[in-house]
Amino acid sequence: MLTLQGLTIFSGYIIAVLIALLGFVVIWRILDGTIDLSQVISEPNGGASMSRFQFLVFTFVIALSLFLVIIGNSKGIQFPEKIPAEILTLLGISGTSYLVSKGIQFSDPTGIADRGTDIIISPMKANVPPGQTKQFTAEVPGKPGSGVKWEVIAGPGTISADGLYTAPPAAAVTPGSPPATAAPHLHATVQVTSDEFPNSYDVAVVTIV
Amino acid sequence: MTLLVQLLKLEITIFLVALAGTVAIQLLTGQIKTTGLLQGTISGRPRDNNQYVSPERIQLLIFTLGAGLHYLSLVLTNPNPGTFPPVPQNWPAIVGGSNVIYLAGKAYSRWLGGAGSKNSKESSE
Repeated sequence: MLTLQGLTIFSGYIIAVLIALLGFVVIWRILDGTIDLSQVISEPNGGASMSRFQFLVFTFVIALSLFLVIIGNSKGIQFPEKIPAEILTLLGISGTSYLVSKGIQFSDPTGIADRGTDIIISPMKANVPPGQTKQFTAEVPGKPGSGVKWEVIAGPGTISADGLYTAPPAAAVTPGSPPATAAPHLHATVQVTSDEFPNSYDVAVVTIV
Repeated sequence: MTLLVQLLKLEITIFLVALAGTVAIQLLTGQIKTTGLLQGTISGRPRDNNQYVSPERIQLLIFTLGAGLHYLSLVLTNPNPGTFPPVPQNWPAIVGGSNVIYLAGKAYSRWLGGAGSKNSKESSE
Protein backbone atom coordinates (compact mmCIF):
# COMPACT_ATOMS: atom_id res chain seq x y z
CA MET A 1 0.00 0.00 0.00
CA LEU A 2 1.46 3.35 -1.09
CA THR A 3 1.49 5.85 1.77
CA LEU A 4 1.28 9.62 1.40
CA GLN A 5 4.94 9.97 2.38
CA GLY A 6 5.94 7.34 -0.14
CA LEU A 7 3.98 9.15 -2.84
CA THR A 8 5.67 12.43 -1.90
CA ILE A 9 9.13 10.90 -2.15
CA PHE A 10 8.26 9.20 -5.43
CA SER A 11 7.02 12.52 -6.86
CA GLY A 12 10.20 14.17 -5.63
CA TYR A 13 12.34 11.69 -7.55
CA ILE A 14 10.25 12.23 -10.68
CA ILE A 15 10.77 16.00 -10.38
CA ALA A 16 14.49 15.50 -9.75
CA VAL A 17 14.77 13.41 -12.91
CA LEU A 18 12.86 16.00 -14.94
CA ILE A 19 15.07 18.82 -13.64
CA ALA A 20 18.17 16.82 -14.45
CA LEU A 21 16.88 16.12 -17.97
CA LEU A 22 16.02 19.78 -18.51
CA GLY A 23 19.45 20.92 -17.33
CA PHE A 24 21.17 18.28 -19.46
CA VAL A 25 19.22 19.27 -22.58
CA VAL A 26 19.97 22.97 -22.07
CA ILE A 27 23.72 22.38 -21.69
CA TRP A 28 23.75 19.88 -24.56
CA ARG A 29 21.89 22.28 -26.87
CA ILE A 30 24.34 25.06 -26.00
CA LEU A 31 27.31 22.83 -26.75
CA ASP A 32 25.93 21.59 -30.08
CA GLY A 33 25.03 25.13 -31.12
CA THR A 34 21.25 24.75 -31.22
CA ILE A 35 21.05 27.33 -28.43
CA ASP A 36 23.27 30.05 -29.88
CA LEU A 37 24.93 32.21 -27.23
CA SER A 38 27.21 34.03 -29.67
CA GLN A 39 25.12 37.22 -29.43
CA VAL A 40 24.30 37.01 -25.73
CA ILE A 41 26.09 40.26 -24.91
CA SER A 42 25.79 41.81 -28.38
CA GLU A 43 23.50 44.46 -29.72
CA PRO A 44 21.52 43.84 -32.92
CA ASN A 45 24.26 45.69 -34.82
CA GLY A 46 26.87 43.13 -33.70
CA GLY A 47 28.83 45.20 -31.19
CA ALA A 48 29.28 43.75 -27.71
CA SER A 49 27.57 45.73 -24.97
CA MET A 50 29.30 46.52 -21.67
CA SER A 51 25.89 46.92 -20.00
CA ARG A 52 24.77 43.48 -21.16
CA PHE A 53 28.05 42.01 -19.92
CA GLN A 54 27.45 43.58 -16.52
CA PHE A 55 23.96 42.09 -16.47
CA LEU A 56 25.42 38.67 -17.32
CA VAL A 57 27.99 38.81 -14.51
CA PHE A 58 25.53 40.06 -11.90
CA THR A 59 22.95 37.45 -12.92
CA PHE A 60 25.40 34.60 -12.44
CA VAL A 61 26.65 36.02 -9.14
CA ILE A 62 23.13 36.42 -7.75
CA ALA A 63 22.02 32.99 -9.01
CA LEU A 64 25.01 31.18 -7.54
CA SER A 65 24.76 33.15 -4.28
CA LEU A 66 21.05 32.44 -3.92
CA PHE A 67 21.60 28.74 -4.54
CA LEU A 68 24.42 28.59 -1.97
CA VAL A 69 22.32 30.48 0.57
CA ILE A 70 19.30 28.21 0.05
CA ILE A 71 21.20 24.95 0.44
CA GLY A 72 23.35 26.32 3.26
CA ASN A 73 20.46 27.02 5.62
CA SER A 74 20.92 25.10 8.87
CA LYS A 75 17.13 24.67 9.21
CA GLY A 76 16.94 22.81 5.93
CA ILE A 77 16.49 23.91 2.35
CA GLN A 78 14.58 27.20 2.31
CA PHE A 79 14.68 30.69 0.91
CA PRO A 80 16.48 33.34 2.97
CA GLU A 81 14.27 35.46 5.19
CA LYS A 82 15.88 38.69 4.05
CA ILE A 83 17.58 39.94 0.90
CA PRO A 84 19.92 42.89 1.59
CA ALA A 85 18.68 46.12 0.07
CA GLU A 86 22.18 46.77 -1.30
CA ILE A 87 21.87 43.76 -3.62
CA LEU A 88 18.65 45.08 -5.06
CA THR A 89 20.24 48.52 -5.33
CA LEU A 90 23.16 47.09 -7.32
CA LEU A 91 20.79 45.31 -9.67
CA GLY A 92 18.80 48.54 -10.02
CA ILE A 93 21.95 50.48 -10.85
CA SER A 94 22.90 47.91 -13.47
CA GLY A 95 19.44 47.95 -15.05
CA THR A 96 19.19 51.73 -15.05
CA SER A 97 22.66 52.04 -16.52
CA TYR A 98 21.67 49.68 -19.33
CA LEU A 99 18.55 51.68 -20.16
CA VAL A 100 20.35 55.03 -20.13
CA SER A 101 23.17 53.55 -22.20
CA LYS A 102 20.75 52.38 -24.88
CA GLY A 103 18.99 55.74 -24.77
CA ILE A 104 22.28 57.48 -25.50
CA GLN A 105 23.18 55.03 -28.25
CA PHE A 106 19.87 55.21 -30.06
CA SER A 107 19.62 58.99 -29.73
CA ASP A 108 21.92 59.04 -32.76
CA PRO A 109 20.50 57.41 -35.92
CA THR A 110 23.89 55.90 -36.72
CA GLY A 111 23.97 54.25 -33.30
CA ILE A 112 22.12 51.24 -34.61
CA ALA A 113 24.62 50.52 -37.34
CA ASP A 114 28.02 51.68 -36.24
CA ARG A 115 29.82 48.40 -35.66
CA GLY A 116 28.80 46.23 -38.58
CA THR A 117 31.81 44.61 -40.21
CA ASP A 118 30.29 41.72 -42.21
CA ILE A 119 28.51 44.16 -44.51
CA ILE A 120 29.02 47.92 -44.84
CA ILE A 121 26.61 50.30 -46.53
CA SER A 122 27.67 53.55 -48.11
CA PRO A 123 26.75 56.32 -47.57
CA MET A 124 25.33 55.92 -44.06
CA LYS A 125 23.35 59.15 -44.30
CA ALA A 126 21.89 60.88 -47.34
CA ASN A 127 19.68 63.87 -48.09
CA VAL A 128 17.36 63.23 -51.02
CA PRO A 129 14.88 65.74 -52.49
CA PRO A 130 11.33 64.43 -53.13
CA GLY A 131 11.13 62.48 -56.36
CA GLN A 132 14.91 62.20 -56.68
CA THR A 133 17.15 59.15 -56.38
CA LYS A 134 20.26 58.19 -54.45
CA GLN A 135 22.59 55.32 -55.25
CA PHE A 136 23.68 53.20 -52.27
CA THR A 137 26.45 50.65 -52.36
CA ALA A 138 27.31 47.74 -50.06
CA GLU A 139 30.65 46.11 -49.35
CA VAL A 140 30.97 42.59 -47.98
CA PRO A 141 34.61 42.41 -46.80
CA GLY A 142 34.44 38.70 -45.97
CA LYS A 143 33.10 37.75 -49.42
CA PRO A 144 33.66 40.52 -51.99
CA GLY A 145 31.22 40.42 -54.87
CA SER A 146 28.61 38.33 -53.07
CA GLY A 147 24.94 39.13 -53.41
CA VAL A 148 22.99 41.53 -51.23
CA LYS A 149 19.33 42.32 -50.69
CA TRP A 150 18.07 45.91 -50.46
CA GLU A 151 14.98 46.97 -48.50
CA VAL A 152 13.33 50.14 -47.20
CA ILE A 153 12.43 48.98 -43.69
CA ALA A 154 10.95 52.24 -42.42
CA GLY A 155 9.65 55.45 -43.93
CA PRO A 156 8.68 56.36 -47.49
CA GLY A 157 10.38 55.57 -50.77
CA THR A 158 11.46 52.50 -52.69
CA ILE A 159 14.77 50.90 -53.48
CA SER A 160 15.76 48.79 -56.45
CA ALA A 161 17.60 45.48 -56.38
CA ASP A 162 20.88 47.30 -57.16
CA GLY A 163 20.54 49.85 -54.33
CA LEU A 164 19.00 52.85 -56.12
CA TYR A 165 16.74 54.62 -53.61
CA THR A 166 13.86 56.70 -54.98
CA ALA A 167 12.19 59.25 -52.73
CA PRO A 168 8.44 59.72 -53.15
CA PRO A 169 7.26 62.82 -55.06
CA ALA A 170 6.54 65.96 -53.09
CA ALA A 171 2.76 65.45 -53.30
CA ALA A 172 3.12 62.02 -51.72
CA VAL A 173 5.42 63.32 -49.02
CA THR A 174 3.03 66.04 -47.82
CA PRO A 175 -0.49 65.05 -48.91
CA GLY A 176 -2.97 67.86 -48.41
CA SER A 177 -0.54 69.98 -46.46
CA PRO A 178 1.24 73.29 -47.02
CA PRO A 179 4.15 73.45 -49.49
CA ALA A 180 6.93 70.92 -49.03
CA THR A 181 9.34 73.61 -47.91
CA ALA A 182 7.22 74.16 -44.81
CA ALA A 183 6.83 70.48 -44.00
CA PRO A 184 9.13 68.75 -41.52
CA HIS A 185 11.76 66.46 -42.96
CA LEU A 186 10.83 62.82 -43.38
CA HIS A 187 13.22 59.98 -42.75
CA ALA A 188 13.53 56.54 -44.27
CA THR A 189 15.76 53.65 -43.27
CA VAL A 190 17.42 51.57 -45.95
CA GLN A 191 18.69 48.13 -44.99
CA VAL A 192 21.05 45.88 -46.90
CA THR A 193 21.42 42.21 -46.02
CA SER A 194 24.20 39.92 -47.16
CA ASP A 195 23.31 36.69 -48.95
CA GLU A 196 26.56 35.22 -47.62
CA PHE A 197 25.96 36.27 -44.00
CA PRO A 198 22.15 36.27 -43.58
CA ASN A 199 22.35 37.45 -39.98
CA SER A 200 24.42 40.49 -40.89
CA TYR A 201 22.99 43.74 -42.13
CA ASP A 202 23.73 47.42 -42.29
CA VAL A 203 21.43 50.40 -42.49
CA ALA A 204 21.48 53.96 -43.78
CA VAL A 205 19.24 56.86 -42.87
CA VAL A 206 17.68 58.91 -45.67
CA THR A 207 16.38 62.38 -44.98
CA ILE A 208 13.89 63.65 -47.55
CA VAL A 209 14.51 67.37 -47.80
CA MET B 1 14.27 12.10 1.70
CA THR B 2 17.89 12.98 2.53
CA LEU B 3 19.06 11.19 -0.58
CA LEU B 4 16.54 13.12 -2.68
CA VAL B 5 17.76 16.43 -1.24
CA GLN B 6 21.38 15.50 -1.91
CA LEU B 7 20.46 14.50 -5.46
CA LEU B 8 18.77 17.83 -6.14
CA LYS B 9 21.69 19.77 -4.65
CA LEU B 10 24.11 17.84 -6.81
CA GLU B 11 22.26 18.23 -10.09
CA ILE B 12 21.59 21.95 -9.61
CA THR B 13 25.21 22.51 -8.65
CA ILE B 14 26.36 20.65 -11.76
CA PHE B 15 23.94 22.62 -13.95
CA LEU B 16 24.95 26.05 -12.62
CA VAL B 17 28.66 25.27 -12.76
CA ALA B 18 28.34 23.77 -16.26
CA LEU B 19 26.35 26.78 -17.49
CA ALA B 20 28.76 29.32 -15.97
CA GLY B 21 31.72 27.34 -17.26
CA THR B 22 30.28 27.07 -20.76
CA VAL B 23 29.60 30.81 -20.92
CA ALA B 24 33.07 31.60 -19.55
CA ILE B 25 34.78 29.30 -22.07
CA GLN B 26 32.74 30.69 -24.96
CA LEU B 27 33.63 34.24 -23.88
CA LEU B 28 37.32 33.38 -23.74
CA THR B 29 37.37 31.49 -27.04
CA GLY B 30 35.39 34.13 -28.91
CA GLN B 31 32.35 31.96 -29.58
CA ILE B 32 30.41 34.61 -27.68
CA LYS B 33 31.20 37.75 -29.62
CA THR B 34 33.05 40.38 -27.61
CA THR B 35 33.96 42.60 -30.54
CA GLY B 36 33.80 46.21 -29.46
CA LEU B 37 33.30 45.46 -25.76
CA LEU B 38 36.06 47.86 -24.77
CA GLN B 39 35.70 50.25 -27.69
CA GLY B 40 33.67 53.42 -27.79
CA THR B 41 32.22 55.06 -30.87
CA ILE B 42 32.56 58.73 -31.73
CA SER B 43 29.65 60.04 -33.73
CA GLY B 44 30.27 62.25 -36.71
CA ARG B 45 33.52 60.64 -37.79
CA PRO B 46 34.10 58.33 -40.78
CA ARG B 47 33.41 54.68 -39.98
CA ASP B 48 37.09 53.73 -40.29
CA ASN B 49 38.11 56.35 -37.74
CA ASN B 50 35.32 56.44 -35.18
CA GLN B 51 36.46 53.76 -32.70
CA TYR B 52 38.64 54.34 -29.63
CA VAL B 53 39.82 52.21 -26.73
CA SER B 54 37.50 53.33 -24.00
CA PRO B 55 38.92 53.87 -20.48
CA GLU B 56 35.39 54.23 -19.11
CA ARG B 57 34.49 50.75 -20.37
CA ILE B 58 37.71 49.26 -18.98
CA GLN B 59 37.06 50.66 -15.49
CA LEU B 60 33.47 49.41 -15.60
CA LEU B 61 34.70 45.95 -16.60
CA ILE B 62 37.15 45.92 -13.69
CA PHE B 63 34.61 47.12 -11.13
CA THR B 64 31.95 44.69 -12.43
CA LEU B 65 34.22 41.64 -12.25
CA GLY B 66 35.72 42.79 -8.95
CA ALA B 67 32.35 43.36 -7.30
CA GLY B 68 30.94 40.07 -8.59
CA LEU B 69 33.88 37.91 -7.57
CA HIS B 70 34.23 39.63 -4.20
CA TYR B 71 30.57 39.08 -3.36
CA LEU B 72 30.83 35.42 -4.35
CA SER B 73 33.79 35.08 -2.00
CA LEU B 74 31.72 36.71 0.77
CA VAL B 75 28.96 34.16 0.19
CA LEU B 76 31.40 31.24 0.22
CA THR B 77 33.03 32.42 3.47
CA ASN B 78 29.82 33.57 5.11
CA PRO B 79 29.88 32.70 8.84
CA ASN B 80 26.06 32.54 8.80
CA PRO B 81 25.22 30.14 5.96
CA GLY B 82 21.60 30.36 4.93
CA THR B 83 21.64 34.16 4.83
CA PHE B 84 23.00 36.64 2.33
CA PRO B 85 26.17 38.25 3.68
CA PRO B 86 25.80 42.00 4.12
CA VAL B 87 26.99 44.06 1.17
CA PRO B 88 29.49 46.76 2.15
CA GLN B 89 27.53 50.00 2.29
CA ASN B 90 29.90 51.87 -0.01
CA TRP B 91 29.46 49.35 -2.84
CA PRO B 92 26.36 50.93 -4.38
CA ALA B 93 28.21 54.25 -4.49
CA ILE B 94 31.30 52.67 -6.04
CA VAL B 95 29.44 50.61 -8.65
CA GLY B 96 27.02 53.46 -9.29
CA GLY B 97 29.93 55.88 -9.74
CA SER B 98 31.60 53.48 -12.15
CA ASN B 99 28.41 53.27 -14.20
CA VAL B 100 28.05 57.07 -14.20
CA ILE B 101 31.61 57.43 -15.54
CA TYR B 102 30.81 54.89 -18.27
CA LEU B 103 27.60 56.68 -19.23
CA ALA B 104 29.25 60.10 -19.17
CA GLY B 105 32.01 58.87 -21.48
CA LYS B 106 29.49 57.31 -23.81
CA ALA B 107 27.34 60.45 -23.87
CA TYR B 108 30.38 62.64 -24.54
CA SER B 109 31.58 60.51 -27.46
CA ARG B 110 28.07 60.30 -28.91
CA TRP B 111 26.99 63.88 -28.51
CA LEU B 112 30.14 65.98 -28.26
CA GLY B 113 33.00 63.84 -29.59
CA GLY B 114 32.12 64.41 -33.23
CA ALA B 115 31.77 68.15 -32.70
CA GLY B 116 35.16 68.23 -31.01
CA SER B 117 36.86 66.41 -33.85
CA LYS B 118 35.21 68.73 -36.37
CA ASN B 119 36.43 71.80 -34.53
CA SER B 120 39.96 70.46 -34.27
CA LYS B 121 39.93 69.66 -37.98
CA GLU B 122 38.75 73.15 -38.84
CA SER B 123 41.37 74.74 -36.64
CA SER B 124 44.14 72.66 -38.20
CA GLU B 125 43.04 73.71 -41.67
